[in-house]
Amino acid sequence: MSARYGMVIDIDRCTGCGSCMVACAAENNVPTLPKATARTGLTPMLVRRVSNGREGNARRESFIPILCMHCEHDTPCVKVCPQQAVEVDKATGIVMQMPQRCLGCRYCMTACPYHARYFNWWDPAWPAGMEKSLNPGVSVRMRGVVEKCNLCHSRLHAAMEKAAAAGKKEIDPADYVPACVEACPTGAIHFGNLADPNDPVSREARSPNAFRLLARIGTEPKVYYKSKEAWVRALAESNAGREPEVQHG
Amino acid sequence: MKVTRRDLLVWSAGAAAGMLVTPVPWKLLDDVSIWSQNWPWIPQPARVPVEVKQSSCTLCPNGCGLRVRMAAGWPVGVAGVTMNPITRGALCPLAFGAHQLNWHSRRMRGVRHRGGISSWPEAHAALTKASEEGRTVVIDGYPGRAASSVLEQFALKRGGSYQVVLGSETRGLRPYENWTGVPATSLGYDLENAKTVVSFGAPLLDGWGVPGRFTRLWAERAADADDPQFRLIQIESSLSRTAARAWKWISIVEGSESTLAAGLARVLIEQKLVPARGPIPAVTVSDAAKRSGLTADQIQELARTIAAKRPALAISSDENPSIAALNVVLGSVGKKGGIVGRSRRDPARVTADKSISGARAVVVDASVPWDFVPETDAEVFRFAAWDGGSSKADWLLPAPGFLEDLTDVPSPPSAAGESYAVAPALTKATADVRSAAQLLVSIDSSLTSIDNIIHGRCAEIFRQRAGTLYGREIMPVAQIASADKLEEQLHNGAVWIGEPARAASFRCELKQWPSLAAAAEDPDWAEHWPVPMLPPLASKLYSESSLREAPARRNS
Repeated sequence: MSARYGMVIDIDRCTGCGSCMVACAAENNVPTLPKATARTGLTPMLVRRVSNGREGNARRESFIPILCMHCEHDTPCVKVCPQQAVEVDKATGIVMQMPQRCLGCRYCMTACPYHARYFNWWDPAWPAGMEKSLNPGVSVRMRGVVEKCNLCHSRLHAAMEKAAAAGKKEIDPADYVPACVEACPTGAIHFGNLADPNDPVSREARSPNAFRLLARIGTEPKVYYKSKEAWVRALAESNAGREPEVQHG
Repeated sequence: MKVTRRDLLVWSAGAAAGMLVTPVPWKLLDDVSIWSQNWPWIPQPARVPVEVKQSSCTLCPNGCGLRVRMAAGWPVGVAGVTMNPITRGALCPLAFGAHQLNWHSRRMRGVRHRGGISSWPEAHAALTKASEEGRTVVIDGYPGRAASSVLEQFALKRGGSYQVVLGSETRGLRPYENWTGVPATSLGYDLENAKTVVSFGAPLLDGWGVPGRFTRLWAERAADADDPQFRLIQIESSLSRTAARAWKWISIVEGSESTLAAGLARVLIEQKLVPARGPIPAVTVSDAAKRSGLTADQIQELARTIAAKRPALAISSDENPSIAALNVVLGSVGKKGGIVGRSRRDPARVTADKSISGARAVVVDASVPWDFVPETDAEVFRFAAWDGGSSKADWLLPAPGFLEDLTDVPSPPSAAGESYAVAPALTKATADVRSAAQLLVSIDSSLTSIDNIIHGRCAEIFRQRAGTLYGREIMPVAQIASADKLEEQLHNGAVWIGEPARAASFRCELKQWPSLAAAAEDPDWAEHWPVPMLPPLASKLYSESSLREAPARRNS
């Protein structure tokens, strides 16, 4: 198996409903964290609201889901981790985070240009009994470690087990769909194998309106975005999480 | 050789320095890290096989199709059902965390009476006594269910009254009920055939109606297109999430929706953009321009845009006769792509008023939102799965939570066609709960139980031999062998879809333009914003992102 799993997110279709965020958190047993804020919460998938910086009728807004970009080249978090707790899986291209090895030094959070990594500030806890509702396929992470999107690796494992049980070497693409992709009500998030030139996602990634965040730094993210709006594409080279400092057409 | 104290210190320092170039400290650190991540008090998910069941969501009347992953008898994940022809796999964000709601810290776990702890036998005795002593008013939030039928039977048998609290989508249809006599609960919006949708502040992409219905439609026909197959025009004072994605966003002064609708109608009639229908509103274009903050040219241009691609359907965020009258002018009432009547007519219902007099007991079903607090001298029996913060009810009675009891799901409030689904009890209750219908059946055993009503409804669908069943496969009802088979499939998560709506089944004519004063223009809407019970993971939306302001914050 040799794949480069990635996404193309059509920003013009994202309504900012947040279904992907909630589905991601439920799938990955993210605790509810009553004390969490926008800075301290665990949001492996985070939808940010951005604007063209204008006011009144000229104002336009869009929603950009931000997750781990699964950088292909010189992956910043991999390079700085002293514990080898982050590595790029050669078989899938997924940037893997291993919380068992993580010391919680947070170098990777500093190094990540996309702010897509989150630190576990609290012990994972749920109201009494709610632990029965946890997803059996995903372990709970401890306080003091960093976590991020791993493209629902547990679903990949399940798909591989299913393929193995059927005596197949390759998984059926329909069996491996991350929770956010499954949840998106407008079909804005597309997932597939970028290494396969015939995969629809691979074709979309090559479309003229496709772009990647901070492409200039050369980390070759495997998460692509798509928009017809010039001001949205211009944001890709600034920090997508903040209001633009200059107005874009 | 004599070992001095200095030798010992040098050896120790050397050993410590040397240790750093061996794997030992790193291994120790690693082990400590692993060990500290497996404290016994950290919950670990049960390692059990997962099975998938289908059902319908019962958090709101829309009844979206659910695929529920179950482990050891408990739901551990929720996703949409792509085979469901209404929702087509889409759900609202709250549904994805709904399986955790039953353990919410605000879950109602015991019977409470005026702030004190009570019991079910005491509540049973109190309701029995009160309903025998005087008139009982029963209030329902999702009319049309089997449970609603039980509530209605009880109220009518005791000489009381059955009343309903309608959602904003159905309230938006009330003016047509007044003009045509067709009950609002039997009307729907034919979005699938509309070519222009003009929304006056209705959150069409943010939880309005069946979540998957409009979002899927918009994604397929309108998103990402310069000249979409259908145009979504959002008329709203602020750049809402729907406005952000609309084909056109028209920013107006808050509260001027009725005047603008009247102004648009006047332009449509005067410029002969539509065949003349009914009276001309008194509002002039300049009045509408002055009130809405738009220019007269902008209003005329907007009217031409609306008329250019029809059927055009105007949707209000709540009951608004002026916007409903605009639909009459556009010829969109009783027509394909407009306001249509469903094939089955529900009886007209009495809408509950918060002020209730002359009653001895008021029973409020769990389906009624928490912002409905009756003002009455009667004894109030309030059922709820989650505590919404009301202390005005005499009795607070814990009701079944998410997927904890058998219920059925009739056609969603805004739907154009008929549908029917059953949501069985997939999980054990996490508290000692009873629904209002269960308690009333235990008081009056002559009432038909929910099971029997559902059984009868399935038999009726089978008898009519009409429509299609969407389960693991799509099958016309005519091909199903027996009523029991049909009921079994519905209990396994299938949804029945009736024949398409009869568009031209009624006529609507206006005798005079509705008074603008009667329109619901409520600039203080935030004060009336109901605080919904949210799944714990909704914190992702409300606290940990900038997507929405929490309702509580909006109220502050």
